[in-house]
Amino acid sequence: MSNIARSGRAFSALPGAAEGDGVRFWRLRFFVAVLRARPSFAVGYAIVTTVVVIALLAPWLVPYGPMNADPSMYLLPPGGSHILGTDGTGMDIFSRVLFAPRVDLAIAVVGTFLSATIGGAVGAIVGYYEGQHTWRRALSTFVMRSADVLQAFPVFVFAIALVAVFGQSVKSIILAIAFVNTPIYLRLMRIQVLSISRLRYVEAAYVAGASDVAILWRHVIPNAIAPLVAQLSVNIGWAVLLTAGLSFVGAGVVAPTPEWGSMIAMGFQNVVTGQWWPSVFPGIALCITVFGFALVGASVEVLADPAQRRVLSGSLS
Amino acid sequence: MSRYHKRGFPLHRRDVLKGGASAVGAAALPSGLISDAVAATSTTLVIAAPATPQSLDCNFDVSLGTFEAIAALYDNLLEFKKIPDPKQPDAFREDIADHPDMPAGLAIQGKLAESFELDPAGKFIRFQLRQGVKSNWGNELTAEDVKWTWDRKFDLGAIGAFYLSTLGLEKKEGVKVEGKYTVSINLDNPNPLLAKLQPNLYNPIYDSTKCKAEATADDPWARKFIENNSAGFGPYRLDQLQRGQQAVFKARPDYYLGKPAMDTVIFREVPTSASRASLLQGGAVDIAQYLQPLEIIKLRGEKGMAVDSVDASFMIWLELNAQIEPFGNPKVRQAMNFAFPQEQVLKTVFQGIGSPLNGCMPNIYAGFTDKFWKYKYDPEMAKALLKEAGLSSGFKTSLAYNAGDPVQEPIAILYQTALRDIGVELELKKIPPATFYNTVSERKQPIIFYVDSPWCPDVGYSMTLYFNSASFINYSNYKNDTVDTLIRDTARTNDQAKRLELMTKAQETVMSEAPWVFIAYPGYHFARRANLKGFTYYTANNMRFQDFSREA
Repeated sequence: MSNIARSGRAFSALPGAAEGDGVRFWRLRFFVAVLRARPSFAVGYAIVTTVVVIALLAPWLVPYGPMNADPSMYLLPPGGSHILGTDGTGMDIFSRVLFAPRVDLAIAVVGTFLSATIGGAVGAIVGYYEGQHTWRRALSTFVMRSADVLQAFPVFVFAIALVAVFGQSVKSIILAIAFVNTPIYLRLMRIQVLSISRLRYVEAAYVAGASDVAILWRHVIPNAIAPLVAQLSVNIGWAVLLTAGLSFVGAGVVAPTPEWGSMIAMGFQNVVTGQWWPSVFPGIALCITVFGFALVGASVEVLADPAQRRVLSGSLS
Repeated sequence: MSRYHKRGFPLHRRDVLKGGASAVGAAALPSGLISDAVAATSTTLVIAAPATPQSLDCNFDVSLGTFEAIAALYDNLLEFKKIPDPKQPDAFREDIADHPDMPAGLAIQGKLAESFELDPAGKFIRFQLRQGVKSNWGNELTAEDVKWTWDRKFDLGAIGAFYLSTLGLEKKEGVKVEGKYTVSINLDNPNPLLAKLQPNLYNPIYDSTKCKAEATADDPWARKFIENNSAGFGPYRLDQLQRGQQAVFKARPDYYLGKPAMDTVIFREVPTSASRASLLQGGAVDIAQYLQPLEIIKLRGEKGMAVDSVDASFMIWLELNAQIEPFGNPKVRQAMNFAFPQEQVLKTVFQGIGSPLNGCMPNIYAGFTDKFWKYKYDPEMAKALLKEAGLSSGFKTSLAYNAGDPVQEPIAILYQTALRDIGVELELKKIPPATFYNTVSERKQPIIFYVDSPWCPDVGYSMTLYFNSASFINYSNYKNDTVDTLIRDTARTNDQAKRLELMTKAQETVMSEAPWVFIAYPGYHFARRANLKGFTYYTANNMRFQDFSREA
């Protein structure tokens, strides 16, 4: 990567930053200082870390099989051998709540990264060629108008329709999440590339004989990617919510796969008859997780924005 | 980019308050309106139903809301007499038992027909119609209306064609107008169902004068009109139909049996059973249809509420597709039954308010027997049968269930766990309610849930529906030549004793070969306000608004 390109990256523009290990150390100190100044961000990171750890260690943490129905233990209230109670088929809610992020996070992360990769790549190409008077410009215009059309549909309804078309499976939900999010990354990357590709160092690379692919890959995309990274964490939380929402309306993960939305759906009919626990505990877990990702997203947004960073570093100094 | 994404983390107190207020308002609005309607007059009946009628043409639509609408808007030529329900003192039910001492051997009486004459051989039935009966359009009932109604079945096919084939009525000339108020149905071969099919909910009589006036060259049988309007001789007329919201029915002052007690019926769509139960508890509605077992149990003990639980023709079972291996092998099908934890399912999912499905037809119909039932939960027996079938290491299969029926998912999960014990890996497939019936009728699933009830209370009719290899609703693709022969012979004789004997043999074979996994008779549970009287159970498992009155 060229020095010019490096100089455009998000964190290297920190006030007072030096090259090498010094920069890394300063970044870490700055990050810790930001968490101290904004404890809500720390809460967000703690939640996300905890959820990820639980997802990884769930098989060793749970007391019962998450899909083992025991009809002799149905609808037991929280307490005793079932800390969070059991559902209408006798499955242990604690075990299922702990297992659920494996499914929810896997779907959300894969779907979001897929959309970021596709959207980012297409957005970079579209943005790079948009100023040129060739057929490529027409193609760019076509892509952007297509994205407009996709974004005109309500996201949730669109996702339900996609799952209906692809068939009800984890793969379909991932595809649906990727599909509905792609225009977001496409637009983000396009607008970044559009401004960066007009900078002098890009022109210099072109004059030096670099190909379009090389310019995009080595000089433009690395400098345009920061807002996408910020968007990722927000989108992962949102994708968890979408996954749960799809499962809640019956278009998502098939029961008895442990998944928060599906668990809420399975249990909500019991709330009116007084058995609140099959729905409430997965609901709480879902809320906390989405809240955590939203806080992390907010922190990344602050850290990635030079203006907000300057304000923050000024207040920390 | 959406507003959400632009703002990143957009939760502000004002947003929360605004959103909460909107949600509370939206939730309160419909029930508030309904409460007002109930409070306004005691002759208004408000019903929380899972769905409004999709179509009012019973020749094509079998959706839940349509059943109630047809029963309110139309009348039949005959009806079963009513008797007090033996289990539910306040409730009534159709007397569908065999009565050898009565005409046609049934407790059946005229409705639109003043009287009827049935050929002892079962080849014709003649109706003498009531005179002076008016439709909701003011046209008088005549024999031409009956003739037009049956001719419509001939030309439009669909559900009408099913009735024609069940009766063996092959040509239009079979329905003869013998006078202004006299009409007969004549068959080439004897049919024991000639009288029994007349009270069937989907066999009503249309006002042909109005329908002919609405017909066009492109639509000679007034399909478009009947789909959205009524032209019948029933106790109510349609006042409003907003699909997905509500249907409103108004009582007819000129109804030939007297104006119904409930002037106005508001039939409101409330898709989730929990919401329907809440509306009933809160006094916003008079009746909550199709509640879940836990909700029924909770409502039973509440002040001002009443639940009528009666034996019913409903059955729930799993179709084992005999054309998809390994279910072509009766031993595997038997093993699937021995592995089904029926008792646990009845206890947990049905909360004890259902009873075991221990036969292959409704246990309230004459001719039913449970003496061939042998599938008590026995995983060891199931394993032994699988071994005999050469599947000692088990197999993989899938079970499709209706996402819209809350009891099916827990049953599927319990069965999945139970099958693991005998080495069978069961994948669950959740099918949206809108496409579930299509999925059933495609017959491409190895195992699929089915809930049904044969509307004609007859042993031969029930067995034909589900086990005749030529039946269009034999969704398990079951085929046994002996059973086919027994069913055919039963349809050709009017000797009821002989019919019962033949059908007992057929039940023995079917139960032994187990084309279904037998789950439950869920019963019929009717949740209402305690001051509402007159509930009557019909074999079509629908309510009729005209039965109800309100105590002061």
